[in-house]
Amino acid sequence: MQALMNWIVNTPASYFVTTWQWAWPICESLHFIGLTLMAGTVGVFDLRLLGLAKGIRPGAMHGLLRFGLVGFGISVLTGLLFISGAPDQYFYNSAFHVKAVCLALMGINVVLFYRLQFSAVAAMGPNDDAPLPARVMGGVSLVLLIAVMCAGRLITFYRPPGIIY
Amino acid sequence: MAFLAAIEQSALGVWIRETPTVFAFPFILFLHTLGLGIVVGVNVAINVWALGFARRHPIGPLQQLMPVMWIGFAINAVSGVLLLVAYPAKALTNPIFYIKLGLIAAALVLLSWLGRQVFAGADSRRVFVPDIRVKVVAGATLALWAGTIGTGRFLAYTHSVLMATDVLN
Repeated sequence: MQALMNWIVNTPASYFVTTWQWAWPICESLHFIGLTLMAGTVGVFDLRLLGLAKGIRPGAMHGLLRFGLVGFGISVLTGLLFISGAPDQYFYNSAFHVKAVCLALMGINVVLFYRLQFSAVAAMGPNDDAPLPARVMGGVSLVLLIAVMCAGRLITFYRPPGIIY
Repeated sequence: MAFLAAIEQSALGVWIRETPTVFAFPFILFLHTLGLGIVVGVNVAINVWALGFARRHPIGPLQQLMPVMWIGFAINAVSGVLLLVAYPAKALTNPIFYIKLGLIAAALVLLSWLGRQVFAGADSRRVFVPDIRVKVVAGATLALWAGTIGTGRFLAYTHSVLMATDVLN
């Protein structure tokens, strides 16, 4: 683990975020913008599965998920930059561990949704109710999205004492 | 500055700042992030739609997201005031804070104009085709929210005063 962290802090990415004064706040802003792109597409799709804005068929909203995917990419890239800047602050941080587990659960939920429910949901028309399993998956997705935000925001309060490289 | 110091030393301010549990200051910060996700998330949905990325579909039903957005806005107004009570001088002595408030006001004005254009009398089944004005305003609204997020984040890095109490002593 120490070797991995030593390698990480010697990457150009690490040098960039730790030496340029404004790199960190700019990356944080982008991280949050990525988050809102996900909330506005994935979260709103989940709300539709749960019965909000039913006049729009889920298939129509599904096309907007590509913006959520872009947001996810932005947040992953900036997130990796944060980790590269101070890996020990994340690897030994229980809030980060919770966040990582929630992200993994989100991924499993997405795979299950596409395998088991997507064809039924894509065939839905305006004002149709989603099947119960799809509604449950939408609810799980929303809860995990909020949990990721919560754990992410708390990372800074669970920082371990710094490690000297 | 004496007024700001009085707010800092109020029971509420001290409690938020100094209670050593995640349920005080950290939890309020989380609520502020959650509200941000809700407010800007709903704006992403409506404005991306208004930009014409779902042009074969109706936009009317998205009006049901507006109450959700206002819940998020209320969460952020309350959590924002609580953060301000904990560190009033930190924000109020920073010009970026006023830029942030201005960006929020401008975004809300544009959103309400946009809502009148796309929701007023909208048949929930009518296919939505945006005109150029709607597209420009939708893009500008999203840019203003991005600016709000950015200025909000920079508040943590650009303050010249953290505590009014320290300045006075």
